[in-house]
Amino acid sequence: MNTPGLRYVGAALLVLVGIWAGLKFHTVRTVPGAGVAVPAGVASAPDPTDNAESQAAAPAPVIPASLPQFSLKDLAGKLTPVSSWRGKSLVINFWATWCAPCRREIPLLKTLAADWGGRELEVIGIAVDYPDKVRQFAAQFKIDYPVLVGEQDAMDVAAGFGMSSPGFPFTVFTDRRGEVVALFLGELHRPQADLILSEVQNLNEDRVQLPQARRTIVQGLERMAAKHES
Amino acid sequence: MAVSVLAILAFLLGAAASAPAQAKPWWMRGIDSNETDFLPPDVAFRVAARVEGNLIKVRWVIADGYYLYRQKIEVKAESPDLMVSPAELPPGIVKTDPYLGTQQVYFQQVEAIVPYSRIDAGAHPLQIKVTYQGCAEAGLCYPPITKVVFPVVAANAAPASVPPYPWESIAILAGALAFLLAGLVLRKGRTLDVPV
Repeated sequence: MNTPGLRYVGAALLVLVGIWAGLKFHTVRTVPGAGVAVPAGVASAPDPTDNAESQAAAPAPVIPASLPQFSLKDLAGKLTPVSSWRGKSLVINFWATWCAPCRREIPLLKTLAADWGGRELEVIGIAVDYPDKVRQFAAQFKIDYPVLVGEQDAMDVAAGFGMSSPGFPFTVFTDRRGEVVALFLGELHRPQADLILSEVQNLNEDRVQLPQARRTIVQGLERMAAKHES
Repeated sequence: MAVSVLAILAFLLGAAASAPAQAKPWWMRGIDSNETDFLPPDVAFRVAARVEGNLIKVRWVIADGYYLYRQKIEVKAESPDLMVSPAELPPGIVKTDPYLGTQQVYFQQVEAIVPYSRIDAGAHPLQIKVTYQGCAEAGLCYPPITKVVFPVVAANAAPASVPPYPWESIAILAGALAFLLAGLVLRKGRTLDVPV
């Protein structure tokens, strides 16, 4: 075993094992962050925070049959429960200052408040936004109907109407009993508002039942669609 | 790995399902449920990123009838060793809204080019944070969306993290040779007592 030649061979072997181990280690290190085959046209692996799978599995949220109870601050900072308007029909408009269609709706909502105001109907804005911005905007646009404002708390209220990842604007119509007659997603226009509100009025005066009122609304909206397309 | 394969499958299925997405106009909407004609924001706006040389290219695919605001697009570094320059965006289409003023918007798709550099190449997976905000032309806007995205290294492009590695191999080899040399020098004039 004392032969020098053997020791040289042993040392050389050790070096080779060292190099082999080093290269193996090196190969392992390059793996993280790479190596996921992605077909052409799909540029990126999905974001792990992307909850597409959980969204698919989640049950579809449901619009409540009657007005949920909630409280939010008004523009003066006073906590206001929605029950303040108990016994009135409500047009509850969810909006934000950065949203162009929401801004476009404001004049219509002011007109509705003026036109329908004497008939036990209240227009309420719920701004999902920063209170300072909303105060400034409400003054600039001379909003004369009640506006409630909140950030996460207003998002929670939106979720209570089945809109847990909301787009804006959306508008909820209730009758005087607090039954949700319609939830209209997107920018509201005068003919639709008049159609829905006339049915709310019919419900309030017990001239129709809710299913019939809803049918009339759907048919009316379809007629408007056909007219618009022709 | 199984999880990422599943995620990719879900992503591809989602992409396939959303391909013919078309927003219906406001007068076509029902009111009986919230099964609306508007797309969920992640379907209306799909974002992905890839690496090409020292550039990260972030691409949004926008469904028909939807648009993104140019000035609301932002790309930031998420990995601690990553530095990105401000995103370079092509000029958008000018959209004038009497209630929101003049804005530049993108329809169909847009690609942001983001030059980047890394201090400690390869130590962290490459991650960026993108923010964007858009609307449907039919009159619905989504709140700003922020996502962490993992840019994929293009198969035909040399990834920026490769250059340091040949030096590591040389360092390992040189280290091994240095040990051999030291062993030989120290051994000189010595005998090893090996029990027979």
